[in-house]
Amino acid sequence: MSRTRCHAACVLVALAATLAGCAPAVRSVPVQIGVAERANSPPDLHFTAPLPLRLETGYSRLIPAESHWVSVGRVSEGLVYRPVDIVFSIEGQQVHEAWLVVRNSALQGFYLPAEARYSSLTAPVPLPKGTQP
Amino acid sequence: MRRTVLKFAAIAAITILAAGCASGVKYQDMASSMPSLKGGEGRIYFFRSASMFGAAVQPEIRLNNDVVGTSKPGGFFYVDRPAGNYVAASSTETEKTASFTLAENEVKYLRTSPSFGLLVGRVVIELESAEKAKAELGSLSYTGTVTAAK
Repeated sequence: MSRTRCHAACVLVALAATLAGCAPAVRSVPVQIGVAERANSPPDLHFTAPLPLRLETGYSRLIPAESHWVSVGRVSEGLVYRPVDIVFSIEGQQVHEAWLVVRNSALQGFYLPAEARYSSLTAPVPLPKGTQP
Repeated sequence: MRRTVLKFAAIAAITILAAGCASGVKYQDMASSMPSLKGGEGRIYFFRSASMFGAAVQPEIRLNNDVVGTSKPGGFFYVDRPAGNYVAASSTETEKTASFTLAENEVKYLRTSPSFGLLVGRVVIELESAEKAKAELGSLSYTGTVTAAK
């Protein structure tokens, strides 16, 4: 096969995959969340700047500036924060409501509350300065 | 003769497109008469903007495998369900689902929108913020029939 034909075939396959909606599935593992007592829970998160995220599936997300997140518990990967007055989701082949998992002032991944699963980012993303009091 | 045929074709196309759009009561006219939530339940709105793009694709919407309505351009409907975990799906060429959790007295908004498919169109479901959803709901028409929790 000539190089040009090979390129054309690759483009067609990529186009077909796009049209077919073949985004990879969000990878996740089951986790158990330990629910935090409100009195003992850590301080809320308040994003001072937007935080853009690139997901492993190729989709991107933006945590908006001024968004407010409350701690609802803990998984082994960090503290779990639920958004207040907004909804946040991650996307691959399917869409999943997602809460933030934070450790050492960095976003480690997401807790998927409907599935009780954890989906990790490929690398932790530092939170904007001032997000944690 | 050719102009007459073109006119008929245009009228037919407009009629078909108009027939595919939701035409029920507008949200703004029924919002005040919607029943309040029962204890232990939350409300889930499904809505679709009035775009003509992909208007012919109007799949059923399922919630935890129960059919709860149809995705129609310019339409919305809602269901009340007990607090818990849910998966919403549309029955098109490829199934794109949205999983979410619903708390007591919580209101969730799910946007359905057409997208390109390999053979035919498909409808994707996404979680939408209350702010954006409310901005669009006012002009949309009610297409639902089922509101009670099963």
